[in-house]
Amino acid sequence: MSIYADAKYSEVPVETKQALFDEVKADMRYEHQLYGCYECGICVAACPSARFYDFSPRVFAQVMAREDVDTFYELLNDSVWDCSQCFSCTRCPRQNNPGAVITIMREVAVNHGLQSAKEALKSYSRIIYKIMSTGTQVAPDMLQPDFFPDWGPDVKQVSENLDVWRRCVPPETMHTTELAWDVSEKTRLELYMIWKLTGNLEMIEKIDEGIFMILEEVMEELLEENGYDIDDFENLLEEDEE
Amino acid sequence: MPENPVLVIGGGPAGLEAARGVADLGYHVKLVEKAERLGGMPILADYAALTPNMVNAEEAMGEMVQRIENDELIDIRTSTEVIRASGSAPALEIGLNGPGGEEDIQTGGVIVATGFQHFDPGKETQMYGYYEFDDVITLVDTERMLKAGKFVRPSTGEAPKQVCFIQCVGSRDRQIGNPWCSKVCCGIATKEAIEIRQLIPDCRVFIFYIDMRMYGFWEDEIYWKAQEKYKVNFIRGIVTEITKRGDQVVVKGEDTTMGRPVEVPMDVVILSIGMEPSEGTKKMGELFQLPSTHGFIESIGGALNTVVTSVPGIFVAGAAAGPADLEDSVSMGGAAAMKAAAFLRKANLRVA
Repeated sequence: MSIYADAKYSEVPVETKQALFDEVKADMRYEHQLYGCYECGICVAACPSARFYDFSPRVFAQVMAREDVDTFYELLNDSVWDCSQCFSCTRCPRQNNPGAVITIMREVAVNHGLQSAKEALKSYSRIIYKIMSTGTQVAPDMLQPDFFPDWGPDVKQVSENLDVWRRCVPPETMHTTELAWDVSEKTRLELYMIWKLTGNLEMIEKIDEGIFMILEEVMEELLEENGYDIDDFENLLEEDEE
Repeated sequence: MPENPVLVIGGGPAGLEAARGVADLGYHVKLVEKAERLGGMPILADYAALTPNMVNAEEAMGEMVQRIENDELIDIRTSTEVIRASGSAPALEIGLNGPGGEEDIQTGGVIVATGFQHFDPGKETQMYGYYEFDDVITLVDTERMLKAGKFVRPSTGEAPKQVCFIQCVGSRDRQIGNPWCSKVCCGIATKEAIEIRQLIPDCRVFIFYIDMRMYGFWEDEIYWKAQEKYKVNFIRGIVTEITKRGDQVVVKGEDTTMGRPVEVPMDVVILSIGMEPSEGTKKMGELFQLPSTHGFIESIGGALNTVVTSVPGIFVAGAAAGPADLEDSVSMGGAAAMKAAAFLRKANLRVA
């Protein structure tokens, strides 16, 4: 039972919260990221997100160090997504790393397909698709006036003749519009296999099934065309483990 | 002509160390203790383990007593009180009252080591209900249980699942009239929290505090250890009241760093009561006409001379001079012994 009179999620069984907490704590990275918390606020003072959101790395450090599973569950379902993962918070006198604890918490949230993870990552589906299929993040053709009205009238002008503008950039590898830069097919395929074999694709499936299906369809076809068989790699990995 | 002995009043850590020091310097000591036993508060109040090193209180104080027990230069008088004083050092006339009746002696100097008393939680101005609820206890009550090797809910005799400490009870409080910090309660509460977690691993332990004052090595040796290894929950914010709900007591306060209201049932609440001047300290202050500060005996040298009072030949050591931990008390005992011996030596040189 939460110690706070204004506790949220009191309807969620404590076993559920405890299981998620234990999963975070069991992560091999966890033990060296968090000791005790003075609640001094040095991390908050250094945190860029804290200046713009109702977000505090200190709260993560203190709640996690106290092993307060009720409040942990509140954080996991809420402000865990407000961190910019810049790790300015590591200037802690106790050598805590609240940002790293947040990394682990996010992974647990994604692996369990929590609603907060789905919502937080919803607007990133295009970026996820780009990265996982090409290895590049923001492509020129994503800068459309409808998406970025605050960028002013120049965006419209540029997007209308995007190809020409891109050809003005000296390096040939950047004469691209659908990618940030030119990526060879071999690189794309190898990257995709890394995402898949390391379990990242499964994480995407849990929070955005639509993007997962498109990715799989497009990329598996490409693999086939190029004569790759993903099973070969899986077999190789299994042999290595043995 | 042999010099008059140094009178050490009080047989706690400061007095025991003072007596040893004076004797080691070759002077006679008369050690007077009101109680039947030597050892002072750690023994009389049944402390289990001393802060910060968690050594057994009986053993540690036993060693201090043993070191002076067979010293020819030390005359130990237990169950004895100082009732009169006249004249001036190095020829003070002192009246003692002990098992053999009243006795008048002459002393060359006095070390007052009469210590402190624990704050009576009945005098606090919050609503903690120490005398109302069985499961609201003090640091001292906890020591007594820990000394017996257990920690239970007084109301049921069963192991608690949720326990909290409330710091600064009777300290740092203008309403009560005790504006001082008692120095040791943060360390003692944290030490007890560790011991409770060791005894009952599934018991959650909280400490509600204003500031955690963990000086020097207490920081990592008890505070960090309690947080990191024993997962004691330190919550900044003081409880305002304790009420009864079912068979538990509910504490109400604010977690000030989180800015959230706290209301949580506890099986046991431990009040971290502070130090006040003992009756003996107040009496000796009057008897020897020593100026006081905060009700404790005042030393005139401040931080640089902690044991000299404004009356020549009268010295103070330990918690009689104000809240002190064991390190302070024993160090002051040693310093007072040196000053008292020096006082006698100079007086003798003048006579010669």
